[in-house]
Amino acid sequence: MPGPYPGQMVRVHSERSINEKTGDADRAVAKEMMARGITALTGDARPQDAWARFVTPQDVVGIKVNCSGAPKICSSPAIVAGIAENLIAVGVPAKQIYVYERFDNQLQSVGYQKVLPAGVNVVAAESSRGSVLGYDPKTYVETSFFGEEDTRSNLVRLVADTLTKIINVPVTKEHQAAGVTGCLKNIAYGHFSNVDRSHRFEQTNTYSFIGTLAATEPVKSRVVLSVMDGLHGVWQAGPFSENPEFRFYPKQIWFGTDPITMDHKLIELIEAKRKAEGAVSIFERSRDHLGNNRDKNKNRYIREPGHVEFASKLGLGVFDLAKIKVKEIEL
Amino acid sequence: MLFLLAAVPTLFWGGAPDTAPSVRDAGFQHIAVPAAKLDAWKAVTGLTVEAADPAKALKLEAPTVEYRADQASASRAPWLTSNGWQFIRQPQGQFYYETKGVGSGIAAAEAFSWGAKAWISTDAAGLKPLAQMLEFLRGVSAQDLTPVADIGFIDDGTDVTGEVMNLMLRHNLLFKVVKAPDSKMKLNVRIGTKDYPADQAQDPGAMTQIIRGNLTDEKRSLRVYGSPVVIARLTESGGKARVQLLNYSGASRKIDGLRVRVLGAFPKHQTSIMGSPGAELLDYTVDGGATEFTLPELKTFAVIDLSR
Repeated sequence: MPGPYPGQMVRVHSERSINEKTGDADRAVAKEMMARGITALTGDARPQDAWARFVTPQDVVGIKVNCSGAPKICSSPAIVAGIAENLIAVGVPAKQIYVYERFDNQLQSVGYQKVLPAGVNVVAAESSRGSVLGYDPKTYVETSFFGEEDTRSNLVRLVADTLTKIINVPVTKEHQAAGVTGCLKNIAYGHFSNVDRSHRFEQTNTYSFIGTLAATEPVKSRVVLSVMDGLHGVWQAGPFSENPEFRFYPKQIWFGTDPITMDHKLIELIEAKRKAEGAVSIFERSRDHLGNNRDKNKNRYIREPGHVEFASKLGLGVFDLAKIKVKEIEL
Repeated sequence: MLFLLAAVPTLFWGGAPDTAPSVRDAGFQHIAVPAAKLDAWKAVTGLTVEAADPAKALKLEAPTVEYRADQASASRAPWLTSNGWQFIRQPQGQFYYETKGVGSGIAAAEAFSWGAKAWISTDAAGLKPLAQMLEFLRGVSAQDLTPVADIGFIDDGTDVTGEVMNLMLRHNLLFKVVKAPDSKMKLNVRIGTKDYPADQAQDPGAMTQIIRGNLTDEKRSLRVYGSPVVIARLTESGGKARVQLLNYSGASRKIDGLRVRVLGAFPKHQTSIMGSPGAELLDYTVDGGATEFTLPELKTFAVIDLSR
């Protein structure tokens, strides 16, 4: 990161991409959106050539999904399957592809196996919540936020030991602590253990912790592409999706290698949706808005959307909107 | 002071001799009974008995964990009821637990790990877990080892300092009680001084964090990662060290993976893990002046012997 396309991203929109009533994505439309998006990003004529810029047949590729809002709001199986099919088309054997997430219960609730090509692995770091066994004991970020005894956040062992490339598949969501959860947070909190310790009462340390984790090697080097699932999303009380009223359907898929650029655009998307819904900005820091987030103007934490700009200062990408170029594609 | 592991705790059973079959069937061969019932129990075959008077012992709370999921905090630390500080304050004391169910086994392991003399009473459901734990503890080799302490703590005997000691133990801050500052310690603490004001000790949790901050985590002889409900005990002598790990949530909530760091290079190890015989330590490393390993599973109690 930020990879070969800093300050750039492609946004593909199709009204036909998802059924808002059922929440089901249209696989054929999603496939077409992905083909158009990846080629627009790289400038290649054929999707296969575009994907080959990011992976080789020798790579062991992880597809980092986001299942914290599962089963309703998560990295869409249609997109995840589409990525796996494209990797196989490039020559990556199915057995060298891993769809993965931290928590097994969330991952299993989606049922990715039903749509993935045969042989693709689906694995979670924590088969039981809190287990450290799925993490690399030698790779960790150590810090203390509130005097917690366990001061380490360890990297997912699969990433440390096995994967050579990672394709990041976040979802367009507001986050009650971080402000938004997009590329950066799926990379950071999605790859390290013991991260919920960064929040206590209304205070959250996501402002600096997200960027710090995302900038940690080998994560920083191995994330080669982000495919943001904007077919659906959450604009309040994220990253979870217990309340259907807070779901929305941008019907978009975003492509890029720069997580900062994509997350800055995610902030714009979430802010615009919240404004349309009459909800306060995610930048609001008044304690008057602390409370049960079933109310669209209340939140458990003082959000930290500034984490995106902070992470840009760690060299992870381009934050300045004047330097960001977005290619828009309508299907 | 050399520390010889004490004999295992003893079941205190207040029932009449006609309850002997349930005691024997659970696996006990020796128990303590009220003095008034001693003669009657002596007539029971298959059990040896001793008289005990719990009223003359220091009564302890049953060790346990209270999870606080209802509290609005993402970092909600469970509340542990533990008694290690009592053993440090009264190392020669006689202690008495009243437990129920599986709590009997945890109590036995707690007393054993501190070398404390303890009677443990329990209910019918607690007989088997206690007997199993005592059998396990008898299999742990006795060694002459010295408790490792990073902090010299001056105990004035008050409730406030007692609670600071309690919380230091729960945070696995290793200390010993000293009468005056000890130059061999990495840190000396006397509540009521400029560095550790008495008014701040009214919040023992905050005071514990001050002490931890002054010691620094880097200098701590022992660290535990992966669970907030495990209390560890470290003893050491002559190139050998023993780490005892007690899961206060017990077998009903086992811990899948516990990372431990001990200062010092100990390339060899042996394990005795209750409920997981033959389990091997994972990711064992000796590097940078420290030894680290992962216990794959901790049901209740484990003893890890390290050596050079």
